[in-house]
Amino acid sequence: MSLERPDSVDDGAVERTPDELEALLGDLVVDRDDHLNAPGFVIRPDTVQETLSILKEQAGYDHLSVVSAQEYENRYESIYHLKKFDDPTQEVSVVVPADKDNPVSESAEPVFRTADWHEREAYDLIGIEYDDHPDLRRILLPETWQGHPLSMDYDKDRPQIATLPEHANPLQEHHKDAESDTMFLNIGPHHPATHGVLHLKTTLDGEQVIDVEPDIGYLHRSEEQMAQNGTYRHQIMPYPDRWDYISAGLLNEWAYARAAEDLADIEVPEYAQVIRTMGAEMCRIAAHMLALATFALDINGDFTATFMYAINDRERVQNLLEDLTGQRLMFNYFRLGGVVWDLPEPREEFFSKTRDFLDQLPESIEEYHNLITSNEIFQMRTIDTGVLPPEVAKNYGATGPVARGSGVDYDLRRDDPYGYYDELDWDVITEDGCDNFSRLLVRMREVEESAKIIEQCVDLLEDWPEDERNIQANVPRTLRPDDDTEIYRAVEGAKGELGIYIRADGTDKPARFKIRSPCFSNLQTLPEMANGEYIPDVVAALGSLDIVLGEVDR
Amino acid sequence: MGTAPAQLFPEFLVDTFGIDSILGDVVASLIGAALVANIILAFSGVAGPWAKRKITAAFTDRIAVDRIGPYGLLIIPAAAVQLLAKELIIPEGVDRPTWDIAPIILPASAMLGFSVIPMGHIGPLNIHLADPEVGLALVFAFASIASVSLVMAGYASNNKYSLLGGLRAVAQNLAYEIPLIVTAMSVVIFAGTLQISGVVGAQTETLVTIAGVSIPAWFAFVNPFAFVLFLTANMAEIGRNPFDIPEAPTEIVAGYQTEYSSAYFVLFYLGEFVHIFLGGAILSVVFLGGASGPGPESISFIWFVVKVWGFFLFTQWARAAIPRVRIDQLIEIGWKGMLVLSFANLVLTAVIVGVIA
Repeated sequence: MSLERPDSVDDGAVERTPDELEALLGDLVVDRDDHLNAPGFVIRPDTVQETLSILKEQAGYDHLSVVSAQEYENRYESIYHLKKFDDPTQEVSVVVPADKDNPVSESAEPVFRTADWHEREAYDLIGIEYDDHPDLRRILLPETWQGHPLSMDYDKDRPQIATLPEHANPLQEHHKDAESDTMFLNIGPHHPATHGVLHLKTTLDGEQVIDVEPDIGYLHRSEEQMAQNGTYRHQIMPYPDRWDYISAGLLNEWAYARAAEDLADIEVPEYAQVIRTMGAEMCRIAAHMLALATFALDINGDFTATFMYAINDRERVQNLLEDLTGQRLMFNYFRLGGVVWDLPEPREEFFSKTRDFLDQLPESIEEYHNLITSNEIFQMRTIDTGVLPPEVAKNYGATGPVARGSGVDYDLRRDDPYGYYDELDWDVITEDGCDNFSRLLVRMREVEESAKIIEQCVDLLEDWPEDERNIQANVPRTLRPDDDTEIYRAVEGAKGELGIYIRADGTDKPARFKIRSPCFSNLQTLPEMANGEYIPDVVAALGSLDIVLGEVDR
Repeated sequence: MGTAPAQLFPEFLVDTFGIDSILGDVVASLIGAALVANIILAFSGVAGPWAKRKITAAFTDRIAVDRIGPYGLLIIPAAAVQLLAKELIIPEGVDRPTWDIAPIILPASAMLGFSVIPMGHIGPLNIHLADPEVGLALVFAFASIASVSLVMAGYASNNKYSLLGGLRAVAQNLAYEIPLIVTAMSVVIFAGTLQISGVVGAQTETLVTIAGVSIPAWFAFVNPFAFVLFLTANMAEIGRNPFDIPEAPTEIVAGYQTEYSSAYFVLFYLGEFVHIFLGGAILSVVFLGGASGPGPESISFIWFVVKVWGFFLFTQWARAAIPRVRIDQLIEIGWKGMLVLSFANLVLTAVIVGVIA
C-alpha cells in the first residue's frame, strides 16, 4: 500500500460541477442518484476502485467520510461519501448497488485505507460482501453471529451463541512452543488503559509491540437501529447523548439536529443558534478536560494530581451545562428547529457564573502546562511517540484533534460552517508534531479557543433584545420528509467529524440512519502509531486518540 | 569516629535483667526484634490504609477517608479486617510453592534490613538491634532480596502481565542497585567504615556555624550531589514514581501482583511499604545523620520517625506529580547516566579525601 499521493492532474482545490464530474468519470457512471448534500453517481459494483481512484487523484476528493450501506426491496447499496480535506463543502456520493441475491461489491480499501473497517461494518450489519477486501470479518458482532441484523430478512428471535475461543497469535501458530520469541497478549476488554471496553490483540517481542489489532464491538447497542425505530421530531434526539457520553452530548445532538433540519428544510432562529454554539463549546471543554485528565492518568499513573485537577475543571463546566439544560450528561436539550428552553433565570446569574469559569480557565491551563506539558519526563514520553504522518491520517479518515495534531487543517466549524461559528472570532488549532504530545497540545489549545467562543456568545446573549429571543422555529408536529431523499451531514464533535446519513422513505421514521463516528475512524490508526513501539507508548497513543467506546461501537 | 556507640538494645536487656547466657542473648534478641518489627508494622499499618490516602488526597484536592472514627482513622482496623477476610483466589496453573513464598519474601527481606538500622533513643533505650562491621553492605544485601520476590511472583503467577512486571523489576533493580551502592560507598570513604554506627557517628560533627545555628556534617550537606544521586536511585530501588514501572497499573495492570488477592496481596503491600520505610531509613542513616537531631539524645527516635516519614511523604509527592518513564528510558538513565555519575562521584570523593587526609 503506497501512502504517497501520486502526482495529481488537479490540485484538488478547483470545484467541479456535478456535470463536469460526470464527464470526468465517463462511462463509469451508469446513473445519477443525487443526495441533498452532494451529487450522487451510481456505478457498477466492480468499478469501485477505479471510480474512487479517479475522484481521489484527479478531482481531489481525498476524504472518505463514511461508507453507509443498506438493503432495499430489490437491491443492496453501499454509498461512499467523499469530501475534500481542503474544502469539505465539496462533496460527492458514489452509490454502488449490489445484487439482491448475491450482494458482492468491490472493496475500496486499496484506495482509501479507512474503508477497511467501514466495509467490515457494512458486511457485519447489512451483509454486503466486499471483493478484494484484505480482512472481511465481522467487526461489531461476535464471529459466530448468525445473520446480519440490519438486513431485511434478519430473524431477531434466532438464538445466538457467542463462544469464547482462545485468541491465536497472528504471527506464530503455536505461541506456546519453546522456540517462540513473541508473546500474544490480550489488552482489554477490561484493562486500566483501554478507557472502556476495548480489546487490543497485541503481539509482543519483549516489551516491544510488533502487531496490535483493535477488537471493538463490546459496547455495541444498536444505536442506528434504535434511531430507525424513532420518529424524527422527538424520539431520536435522546440517543446522540449516548454515543460520545463523555459530556459531549450537545455536540452529538447537533449532528442529528443538523442532518434532520437540512433534510426537513427547517430554519433555526439565530438566537437558538447562539445558545447551541455556546452549549456545544461548553461540551467541548468538558470533553477535552476529560481527555487531558485520562491522558495524564496513562502517562503519570494512577494517583496523579493532574487527573483530579482536570476533573475539577470539568466539573465546573458541567455545572454550567446542568444550569443550562437541566441535565449533567444526557442533556436532550436540542430540538429540531431550536432548543428546548431558554437560558436559566435569572439570566445574570448564569452569565456571571459562566464568566467566572472563563476567567479562571487560563490559570488552570497554565497549571496543566506546568504540571505536564513542560515536564521533561512527560515530554520524553510523548514527543515523537505514536507518530501519525498527515498523509496516513487522511488516508484513514482521521479527523478532529487527531488530524489537527498531524497538521491537517480540517475543522468543520470553519470549513463547513453551521450554527453561529462563522460570525465569531476564533482560530482552528493545528500542531505539526504528528505525535502524542501534539494531539494533547491541540486539545489544550482548543479549550482556550472554545472559551473565546463562549465568551463571545455570552456577550451576544446578554445584549439580545428580549422580544427577539426566539428559541424554536415552527416545526410540524410530525415530520415526514419526502420519499427517497437522502442526506449526509456532519458537525465537528469533540473527537472529530461526527456525521449522520439519513434516508427518508416518506414515513415519520428514517428508513436508514447511519452514524459516522469520528472515534471509529480515529481508532483505526492505532496500529500505524503503535507497531514497533513499546507497550507504554501504545497506551499513550491510545490515550492521545481519546476514543469513547460508546461512540466507536454505537 | 565520634562518640562511642551506645549500648545496643538486646545488650541493654541482657544487662538490665542479668540474663547473661546464650539463652538470655537469644531471648533478648527476639524481644528486640519483636519491638522493631512492631514499630515498622505500625508505620505500615498507618501508612497503607490511612496516611497514604490522606496524603494523596491532599495532593489531588480531595478529602479521602473521613467517615469512620476521627479523621477516618478507624479505617485502619476496618481495612485490616476487610483485606484479611477476602477470599484468596488461587489461579489455575500457578507454580505453587514459589507463588506462595514470594509474598513472604518481600516484607521479610525489608524487615531484615531494619535489624542493623539505628532507630534512635526512647529515653534510655537505644533501638538498635545489631551493629556488625559490614552493616551497610548487609542492609543493601537485605534490601535487594526484594527483587527475587518480584521475579518469583511474576514468573509463578502464570500471567503475562505478571511476567512483564517481573522482567521489568529485574531490569530496573539491576540498573539502579549498582549506582545506589557505588554512591553509598563514596560516603563510606568519608566515614572510613562500613559499620553503621560509624557512618552515623561521622555525621555528628559540626560542618559550619551560621548565626549561632550549627549545621551538622550530614553527608547530604557535605556531598549534596551524592545525596541527589542516592535519592533518585533509591526511588528506583523501591519502585516509586517516576520509576514505578514494575507495577505500572495503566500499562501492565498491576505487574507482578496482578494475580494476588487477600492475605497475599496484603503481604505484598506490606512489603512495599516496609521497603519504602527501609529506603527512608537507609537514606537517613547514610545521608541525614541517622536518628540525630536537635534536642537531647533520649528523644532521637522522634527524629528518626520524622526523617523516615518525610521520605515517605516525598515518595507520595512524586507519585502525585511526576510522570512515569518508559522501561527503555529507565534502563538508559540507569546505565548511561546514573552509573557513570556515581562512579565519577566515587573517584572524585576518593581523590578529595585522599588529598585532604
